[in-house]
Amino acid sequence: MKILKFTLITLFTISLISCKKEATTEEKPKDSLTAKKDSVAVPEVHKEYYGIYTGEFAGKGELYDNETEEYYEGTDYKRLSLKINRITQDSVYGQSIVNGTQRPFRGVFNEQSQSFVLDEPGNDKTDGRFEIKLKNDSITGKWTAFNKSAVKDPLKNLKLIKKEFVYNPNFMLDENSELIDWENPKDFKGKYTDQETGKTETYTISKNRFASDAVFKINASKQKLSEKDLKNLRKLDMEIIKNSVFARHGYSFKKQTYRNFFEQTDWYIPVSNNVDSELSPMEKDNVALLNRFIKYAEDKYDQFGR
Amino acid sequence: MELLKKNILTLIKILLIIGFGYFFWLMVKITLEYIPLDTNVSFLMIKQTEVEQRPEYLYFFYTHVYTSIFVLLAGFLAILRKDFRLKNFHRNAGKIYILLILLFAAPSGIYMGIFANGGFLSKISFVILGGLWWFTTFKAFQLARQRKFKEHKQWMWRSFALTISAITLRMWKVIIVYLFHPNPMDVYQIIAWLGWIPNILLIEYLITKKHI
Repeated sequence: MKILKFTLITLFTISLISCKKEATTEEKPKDSLTAKKDSVAVPEVHKEYYGIYTGEFAGKGELYDNETEEYYEGTDYKRLSLKINRITQDSVYGQSIVNGTQRPFRGVFNEQSQSFVLDEPGNDKTDGRFEIKLKNDSITGKWTAFNKSAVKDPLKNLKLIKKEFVYNPNFMLDENSELIDWENPKDFKGKYTDQETGKTETYTISKNRFASDAVFKINASKQKLSEKDLKNLRKLDMEIIKNSVFARHGYSFKKQTYRNFFEQTDWYIPVSNNVDSELSPMEKDNVALLNRFIKYAEDKYDQFGR
Repeated sequence: MELLKKNILTLIKILLIIGFGYFFWLMVKITLEYIPLDTNVSFLMIKQTEVEQRPEYLYFFYTHVYTSIFVLLAGFLAILRKDFRLKNFHRNAGKIYILLILLFAAPSGIYMGIFANGGFLSKISFVILGGLWWFTTFKAFQLARQRKFKEHKQWMWRSFALTISAITLRMWKVIIVYLFHPNPMDVYQIIAWLGWIPNILLIEYLITKKHI
């Protein structure tokens, strides 16, 4: 029995780790392995529902406006992915991924109503319960936090659609993407002298940084980058070029800045909070180079020095 | 009136000395970033192409970094033209200044100029700067040996104006980045020239006006 439990746990973790595109091809041999040992115990049902469902995760709540510096009532949209990995007669296993947080869930599937009730573990303050309905390839429903006082919006609505996650090195930010980073405004002081009264007033103006169109041209997943390619780029450009690599591999960003950029595309599907092992050797080299230049830009760009 | 003029002049001198002290300290801190020896730190972080492909690059680089800080100090002490009750202080400081530039700092500077960041525009500037630096210093050295001290003084000021470009270049960078936030190599092309041209123009102006 212990061995059985152990194999089950291992298989479960393996299937969790490999829920990429390969999942469909790799799952079969694994399943047959399982079948040998516990074919009677837990047969899988509804494999056709396995996969990644991604879309909006919307909650009403207090939002912060960077420009007016005020809070206002509004709808906060996030991109959520649900991965359904395993459905048995009495259990459903999978994970939820939002804003760089990846949580496992377990629940039940009601065949009659085509609905799921899925619970996150509950040991994190942002855990909660999904009550969702499946219709063709889309999922709708709601999520409620277990601890209603711990989160800003204890009730959120979901609108997800089934998507096949594919890594494609050609994916880039769309040329029409907005390139302003609204998340890191910097304050600048200015002086204004009234022509008539002659009074001088000081004011602060906040400026947002923006990326250049280099982010549409330089692809760190396809070309080996050299120092020459990066020398004349600003920090934000290099951060986007670097994080495009992670976005292609389905990394779920913890920083709002990067979510804003990549959620503008339709190819970006957050599927994991750690994709380091997925990077190709060239991508790893490029990321290391980019990290070095980002650090240099951060330390030296506006400092007394070269 | 004469007294007032004299007072203002002393005040300017004191301010310049304090200013130099402050920026010299900043330069010492920049030099200290390369101690202990690390081939991938500070400016070298974006110079790994040269570090990896040109085995001689690091030798020239460290020669430049480690001698230039003493060039700044020796040049400053010599330009004060005081012996501070030490025998031959001005002469010895000047000798150190000249020797370090002619043998080490200027040749290594010219070599690094050839591989400077910012493309052709900044390369040409740094190579010219290095050449002029060597030449003005050599000229000042020759004139001192010929005991033509008036001209020695003028050429020394030219040489020191170019030495000080180490500081003025970095000052311009801070100002330009603060005002316009250009891309890093665009700034670099500008400061490559702005670092030394105004300096030498100012000295030439002072020489023609017979202030030096």
